[in-house]
Amino acid sequence: MMQRKWKVAALLAVTLLTGSVYASAGEYSLDNDFMSWLFDFQRTKGVKPVADKQYLEECGACHFAYQPGLLPAKSWEALLNDEALRKHFGVNAELDSDTLKDIRDYAIKNSAGNSWYKQSRKIAAATEQGPVPLRITGLRYISRKHRDIPEKMVKGNKDVKSLSFCDKCHTQAGKGVYDADTVNIPHYPNWDGWFNK
Amino acid sequence: MKCRVKLGNVVAGICLAVFSGMVHADNTVSNNALPTAASFYTNNYQLLKSQSVNSAPILLAANEGNAVQSQPDLTPAAPAAEYSPPWLTGRKAHQYLGLGTVLFAGLTALAAPGEACEHNCPPQPAPRETSGTTHTRLARTTAALAVATVITGLIYHWDDFHLEDGFSDPDNQHVMLAGTGALLMLYAINKSAKSSVPTSHAGIAELGAASMLVAIKLTW
Repeated sequence: MMQRKWKVAALLAVTLLTGSVYASAGEYSLDNDFMSWLFDFQRTKGVKPVADKQYLEECGACHFAYQPGLLPAKSWEALLNDEALRKHFGVNAELDSDTLKDIRDYAIKNSAGNSWYKQSRKIAAATEQGPVPLRITGLRYISRKHRDIPEKMVKGNKDVKSLSFCDKCHTQAGKGVYDADTVNIPHYPNWDGWFNK
Repeated sequence: MKCRVKLGNVVAGICLAVFSGMVHADNTVSNNALPTAASFYTNNYQLLKSQSVNSAPILLAANEGNAVQSQPDLTPAAPAAEYSPPWLTGRKAHQYLGLGTVLFAGLTALAAPGEACEHNCPPQPAPRETSGTTHTRLARTTAALAVATVITGLIYHWDDFHLEDGFSDPDNQHVMLAGTGALLMLYAINKSAKSSVPTSHAGIAELGAASMLVAIKLTW
């Protein structure tokens, strides 16, 4: 009898837990709905990989095509407009209006707040309030993850030079995977130490 | 029986030694020696020099701005595309242990002897077995896995947990749910093991396992 009572309690608790996750999904105005995320067994630990050919070609022509899930929608709105692109981090990166619209729509649709991927959810939660972040490296989450990396491994490393070049060390950055196990800092194979691997 | 238990302990010890040896070997592919004070000094010479001679704060990668003198290469750089991540690391061990915990929790539930009762129970033919059965062995293995999961999580993912990020942060949710789940399972095992009559504990253990499962899914 007691056991049945506990089983009912367990079932109720699982329902409540699932419900709370579902309720919090409202904050993210999901592109992928909750149920498809729940029953999707593929790993969604990083950020959603870029699937749009135009985005890959246009952005990737000059730099690593950062996944839209690395910034919230408000950042993409601030970055992807005619005026902002004329002085895109010191470079004129103007696009024709149709291309710009497509790229901006894609970026906003897949931005941090609209994704179930874990790192995107973290970024969305951390940038909900405060100023609009324009640099991925300026995000609190990203800078915190890199704060223990000595500068000699990044700026002083001729094969890296800056944190902006994600794919120099994150060997699966193109797939949206940024976890520490896939990091290979050029010239520093034991960057994480023998204990922390 | 005693001999069998001792043999089991020896086998478990050997397995642990092999496992830890594999982890160590995997982590020290390019450096076969354990780190010594001397090797630490030589590997981090430039960093130590900047700290001791210039008394300057450590320059970190996040501090964009100041130029840093180029360092002599320690090892040749492998192209990023050719890099294959190690199959076993501390973080992956945490992942495998967590999945193992949930798997063993399921097996423990399947191996449960049947309905328990606390009130008006029929007379028991023999003293209640609180060890030696498949169910109890599986339960103890689950508990050991849960503890190992929590410990490896604390060691290898400590920097992912930040209170200031609040409850909506997936890593914080993972820590809270998985930690609570592990505690619930341990409580259920302890409750049953200390009782001389059949006692209700399945619900608590199942709630713990479900909590761990949700924690895994949130950061999967």
